[in-house]
Parts: sequence; C-alpha cells; structure tokens
Amino acid sequence: MSTQPIQIQPLSQPVNIGDEVASFSPEVEAEIDGHLAKYPVMRSAILPLMFIVQRERGYLDAPGVAYLAKRLRLRITDIWEVATFYSMIYTQPVGKYHIQICKTLSCKIMGEPGITDHVCNKLGIRLGETTADGKFTVSLVECLGSCGTAPMFQIGFDYHENLTTEKVDQILDGLK
Amino acid sequence: MSTEVIKVNINSKEFEVPKGARLIDVCRDKGFDIPSFCYYSDLALQASCRMCLVRIEKMPKLQTSCTIICTDGMIVTTQSEEIEKAQRSMLEFLLANHPLDCPVCDRGGECELQEMTFDWGGLEERFIEKKNYAPEKYLSPMVANDPQRCILCKRCTRVCDEWMGEDAIEAGGRGANTVIGTYGGWLDCSQCGNCIEVCPTGTLLDGTYRHQARPWELAQTISTCSYCSDGCEMSLGSRAGELMRIVARDRYVNGHNGEFLCIKGRFGHPFVNHEDRLRTPLIRYKKGGKLIPATWDEAIRYTAEKLKAAAAAYGPDALGVVGSPRITNEANYALHKFATEVVGTKNYAATDAFSLKPFFDNLGAPLATHRDIRYAKTILLIGGEPEELQPLTAKQIRQAVSNGAAKLIVINSVPIRLVEHAAQFIHIRPGMENAAVWALGHSSNETTAAQKMGIEANELSALRQTITETEGDVVIMFGGELNAAAQMIVAQLANSFRADTRRVLLHPLPLYNNSVGAHDMGMMNGAMSVAEMLDATGSSIRALYVAGSFLPEHLRGREEALAKLDFLAVHELFETDTTAFADVVLPAASFAEIDGTFTNNDGLVQRVRQSIPPVHQAKPDWMITAALAAELGKDFGFQMSASAVFREIAERIPAYSGLRYPVLKDESNPVQARYNIVEPRDLSSALNELKQTVAALPDDGEKSNVTPRVGHELFKIGTLTDKVSQFHLLAAGNPRPDTVRVSPLYQITVDAKLERDAAVSGD
Repeated sequence: MSTQPIQIQPLSQPVNIGDEVASFSPEVEAEIDGHLAKYPVMRSAILPLMFIVQRERGYLDAPGVAYLAKRLRLRITDIWEVATFYSMIYTQPVGKYHIQICKTLSCKIMGEPGITDHVCNKLGIRLGETTADGKFTVSLVECLGSCGTAPMFQIGFDYHENLTTEKVDQILDGLK
Repeated sequence: MSTEVIKVNINSKEFEVPKGARLIDVCRDKGFDIPSFCYYSDLALQASCRMCLVRIEKMPKLQTSCTIICTDGMIVTTQSEEIEKAQRSMLEFLLANHPLDCPVCDRGGECELQEMTFDWGGLEERFIEKKNYAPEKYLSPMVANDPQRCILCKRCTRVCDEWMGEDAIEAGGRGANTVIGTYGGWLDCSQCGNCIEVCPTGTLLDGTYRHQARPWELAQTISTCSYCSDGCEMSLGSRAGELMRIVARDRYVNGHNGEFLCIKGRFGHPFVNHEDRLRTPLIRYKKGGKLIPATWDEAIRYTAEKLKAAAAAYGPDALGVVGSPRITNEANYALHKFATEVVGTKNYAATDAFSLKPFFDNLGAPLATHRDIRYAKTILLIGGEPEELQPLTAKQIRQAVSNGAAKLIVINSVPIRLVEHAAQFIHIRPGMENAAVWALGHSSNETTAAQKMGIEANELSALRQTITETEGDVVIMFGGELNAAAQMIVAQLANSFRADTRRVLLHPLPLYNNSVGAHDMGMMNGAMSVAEMLDATGSSIRALYVAGSFLPEHLRGREEALAKLDFLAVHELFETDTTAFADVVLPAASFAEIDGTFTNNDGLVQRVRQSIPPVHQAKPDWMITAALAAELGKDFGFQMSASAVFREIAERIPAYSGLRYPVLKDESNPVQARYNIVEPRDLSSALNELKQTVAALPDDGEKSNVTPRVGHELFKIGTLTDKVSQFHLLAAGNPRPDTVRVSPLYQITVDAKLERDAAVSGD
C-alpha cells in the first residue's frame, strides 16, 4: 500500500472563531425547529442540525459552528468533538463530488488499495485533498454496508459498486 | 453516602464499608493498591484506561473497579495472575502510541504513566508499527501540548467541564486519531491550568515552566496561595533560591482545594524572583528628591525618628497605620500592635476593597467551608462573581449543582457565567444588591424591593420557598456590593431560615488572600477607613505607615492625597503608585519567602511556609514592624520567630485561641478559626437604615444582558500579575500566534504599558 491512510482531518487548519454567526432562510429555520421539537434533550439534535448546516453551507465553517453552538446551547468544543468524530461531517470545504472510498475489511480484501491509488493518481491528489478546480475530494471512510459488492465507493449519496479501475475511469470521466 | 454498613470481602478479608462506596476507593482505603489513570475522585466516570480491573465473584469478566459500587457480600480479588496479565496487556496498549521520550519530558520523574510503567510495564514493546506522529505545540500561552504522549484518559476534558464549567478542551477525531484539543486549536478559556495538573502523562504541560527544571531538582514546600480569598493550598517548587513553579499535585500537597488552582495561583508567581523587586531599603531625604538606597539600620532609625517627630508635633492620632489584606496574619497583627501599643493611634485600617467588620460582628451562623459548599443543597449567591474573583468557590458551586443536585440561586445585575448552573436567576438592576438583602431581611419588604429591583415579587417568594423547602445545608454567599447594614442582615439571615433539618452557613466573598485575617487581627477596627484616612491627609493625618500599597480604587480621585503627608513609610515588593510618594520604602519579603498564616474566606487558618530565602535584603513584614517598634522603645518579644508571633495571636485573639503552628501542620486537615456566633440581633434599625439606602437608589438602571467575558477580572494586570509576561498576552485578548509550535511569548509583543493602563484594579 503506497498511500498513507489519512483521514480528512477537520480543523487541522487553524480556524479563527469570529463573532460571525450563520443565518438561514425561514424554511431552513423551520426545518431546524422541526428537528429540535423531536428531542426532549436539545443536544440530541446535533447531528440532523449539522447535516442541515452542511447542506446549506457546503461544510461546517466557523459561522456554521457558531450557529450550532448558539442554537443548541452547547460549547463550541462540543460541536468540534462531534464534527470531528464523523467522516460525513466536513469541517473543511469539499469538492463538488466527494468520493468516499470504503476502507473496511471486505473492500480492503477485494482491492480497495488499488482503487484508492488509481483514483488519487487519476485526480492528482492525495487522500483528504480536493482538486484545484474544486471538483473532487477523495477520502477513506468506514464500512458503507455494501460488502457484497466490494470494492465500492460513494459519490455524494450514490453508491458505485464492484469497482474496477476501468469502471472508476468511466465514472470519473462521466462526471467531468 | 448513607451510614448503612455492608460487608465486602476483598482478597479473602472481610471489611465493613458504608453502603454506596465505590470499590476502587474501598480497595485503596484498605491498602490494596489498584492502578488507574482515568479514575479521578468526584469526577464523572470514564472507565477508559482499563487498569483498575478486578475479579468479582459471579461476574463473568474482569470488572473495572472504578465503576462498581460495593454491594453486600461482594467477593473481590484485586491481585491474581489473570488480573496482572490483563493489566500488563492494557499498559502495553496504552503505550502503543506513546513516544517514551521521558528524558526530555517535563513530567518525567513525577509522571503517573512512567510510574505505572515501572510497576506494570513489560521489558520490551511488542508493537513494531509506526507510532502516530503529532508535533508538540502550544494551546495557549499557559498550556503546552504534546499530543503523542496522550493516553486518552480524558481527565482534562472532565475537569474543564465539571470544575471550570468551560468545556474548552475536548477529545476530537476518532479511533486511533483521537486527540485532545479544542476548536481552532487555540484555547480561549480562563487558563486555569487544571488540565495540566490532572494529566497523568506529559501531554498537557505548564507552558510557563517548559524545560526549566526537572521535578527531582525542586524542593517542594507546602504553602497557601497569595491571590484570592479562597486560600488554595499549593506546593511551591523552588531550586537554588528561585521559585520555579507552583502546583497542587496530590503527591505534594492535599489541601481543601484538592488539585485545583486558578491561573493566578498556578502561573502568577514570577513576581517573586522578578528583577524589579526592591533590593534595599530606600530613603527620600528631601520631598521631591530621589529614593536613595540605605541600610536597614539607617532606614529603621530614620522612620522611627520621623514618626516620633510627627507624633510629637500633631499627637499620636495624626499617625495612620495601614495594614493589608495581602500580608500574613503575623504581619497584620504586628501592625495592629504597633498602632495601638507603640504609637497609640486610633487610626489604623487595612487596604481592603470592603470591610467585613459588620458581618463578623453580627455573625449568626458558622462560616461554610468549601467542602460544605460542595455538599450544600441550596446556595444563595448575592452579588459577587466567584468564577472570576474566587475560582475555587465557583468550582465548588458548579460541582454542588452538577454532581450534587444542589439548587443555586443567583442574585446579580449581570448574567454571570454561574447563572447557567442556576435553578433561579434573579436579574436585578445594577447596584440593587442591598435592596435584595433588605427584601430577604423581612418578607413585608418584598413588593417594594421587587419594584425597585425591576423583578416580579414572586421571584423573591420563590427564593424564600426554595430555602425553606431545603433539607440539608443552605449556604449564603455575598460579594462586596453590600453595605454595612446589608452585611449585618445577611450575617443574621440564618436565624430566620434555620430549621431542624436545615443548617444555614455563611460564606463571605472578600477579594484578597487574607482579607478575613486582616479583619481578625483587628486591622479593620480603627476609627477611620482607608478612604477617610486618605481624605484627611495633610489635616488630621500627617504621617502614614503602610504595609503594601493602596488599591487603585483608593487612590482614584485622591491622586494628591499622599503628597500632602509629612511622612510616608511603605513596605513593598515593587515600586508602585504609593511608593512614588514614600519617604521611606522598606523591601518586604513575598509570601514565598516567609513563614506565617493566611485566613481564607472559610475561616481556615492555613500555613504559609518559607520556600526560598528572602531575595536581596527583603524582610518579613512583621519583622520590619518589630524592628521599628524596638527602635521606638518597645520590644515586641517576637524573638525573630513567626511562630512566636502566632502564639501571641492565639493568646490574644479569641477566635484563634489554642492554635499553634504544629496544630496547623497538616494541610489536609485545615483548622477553622472559632468565630463568635452572636445571639439573634434586633435588625429593625439596620432594616430601617437599609430602607433609606434602598429608597435613595435610582430605579432606572439598565440591566446588563451580556455575560462577561471569561477572564475579564482574572486577566487584569495588577502589580503582581504585571510581572508575568503571559498575563499581558491574555489581557490583550489571547491572540493566536502565527505558529503554535513556538511559545506565543516569542511571537507576539504586547505593549505592556497600554495593558497596565487599561487594567483598573489591583490584583
């Protein structure tokens, strides 16, 4: 295996927490209120809210984190703690297409390292990085629950299964 | 914990333990050593280090003893081949990513992981995989961080959350990549350094003491903090006459604060060996002239002569003697004795922000210790801001609320940070603390007071109800906002709230380490307050003998007061606004250089011990006063011994009777002064007086809705904290440097003068 398994390290870049707090449209606010209403303990809504903020802002930027902390009445470090735990929560900008390659056992056995190398070489980036044009980001993630069709990756929310290098080329070329 | 007793069998021996006891505590108490990293008494359980494994009969696997509550008939084995094997394997896992760089680690020599590895580690590591690499860095000017050494016990995150209520430091990332850190990588907190203290490895390190000394080179001296009135016990680490660091690690000291210290206690000590310390006595022979170095004999002789001349010309009452809430009981006692027995003046006072005399004169209930606060059921906080001014009290309040389900009621004009723990927050208009006390004094005042304070009347009745429904301890705390009449009413409040199932305890929140002691020594019994004395300079006050300096708030608006004096003698560590006018400046020894006692806001009389010899020609304050008295013809009989001074204190001051230094020897068993609890007083005149005060208060004050920023009081630059370079960074808003790999001190320059000007209060 030639590439080091580097996770997207959220917030490995210094982020200055400004006083800026994100704001959202009334529809989004209503959606957030809906989630908050579901839980007796407010902080339980942290994950759905993170997904909404991420959907609206692309990733959890500082104003987004400040918004979450304020809305959920949590410390900023509580948000950081959760955000860094999940590979689906981005604390750095990601490309338009986020290629998440499953690195868990079945995929690993079925040739994930080769696929990973191929994707990285093709795009000219390392794991955790985004292409200069902001189109692609590649990262390794834990099991995506598609072991029967290993190796596989996920682009956005779409599964691409039984991957081979040819198939990867085909998929990536189709996206360009 | 109940008083019910159950039987537990540990290693084939029967023990009787109280019901609800934790197994790890019981085993350790009974002499069976159980290793652990993550277990920390009185913090939330973690059970992540898996070192405290024991075998309990009828349980399928080895159990973590830190999570087990003893049950009747439990049969426990703490040592066996199986357990040892498990523990040795656990340690191997813990060391999997540890760099084993003990020779360059500041913690080497006092590291729990190192000691545990000696006891439980294997001879060689079997892991040959590459270790996770992460560079050393700074998390703030005070906290250095080496993430590789972390074993993820999360003690730091728990103390930050539970003790400090700040949650500034957390574990981020996942799995093998988990690191202790903070959002943005820069700690924006009160910089208490408790995470450093509880860290069992060298992961979090004192940023001000990096690579300065090895622990085994330091002589450890147990002493008491010289900043706020909580009086934390701490260990001064000194080497060759230099104070290197201050810690509260339980291997060195076991005070009532445990391992807790705040930023000032832990990091505020570099003033002791600072180059600006006064080196010799100084005399200004001519007004407006220069201060010229002199010998001690000359300075004492000159001072005595001048004081004698002033007394002869204007009478003894023209001489003022000013003590300080920063200096020891011994020093204040000597000054009081000097004022009353040598000079014979009735004008003496202590430079405190407020006097506790009306409170202690009418004390209707015992003082609460910090332990009492931790286990109190209801806590009423009137005014004050303990999280900035008395951090240990704030920590005890937080733990009482979050670990002990106590109810906190805050009466304040500002939503201070403790409000988030409060069951009830009575948000009054600014300056209305006296009105709140007036309303508490008698329920008939509630409606008027509520209107005045800008609150609903039922808020006050709810408060009253919470207190009267409490079973257990009620602690009433108050800050410096209360006037004399209000202090008297608070001191007597216990009489109206006491019941068979309810104990009422009082807890004043004075500002300085020995405010209570200065009161006890009688320094607040004089005819004039410090402000009155300063107003009278040049007329009824002609000469002043001051230990320490006046507070900035005393001198504000009275800049000319000291210039009007015929003679001013000052004991000081540094040149200050007061010494600028002094005719004689006598170099005093700091708390690290002397023996003595401080009395904290619990009334605990605690030892201050000499850690290093006095720097330059400094002398303890009481010795200077005694020398001056001798020059004026009165032998105090102290024989150069602080314990002799204290013996005399114990003989003369009823609250201290029977105390001797040997009685105060054990810091884990602090001794409370026995204050006289007075019979219930008639409060009608005090209530009337307070009514007038309240009526005169303007009722259009704006309530603040902004929670003050963390550190707005703690980081203020005073005479002492001014000598700590890191404080200037914090006072300037703790800016993040370009790189966190190097101490921010070397990257950021702060204009110290501007900082000093911006800070308004003494430290």
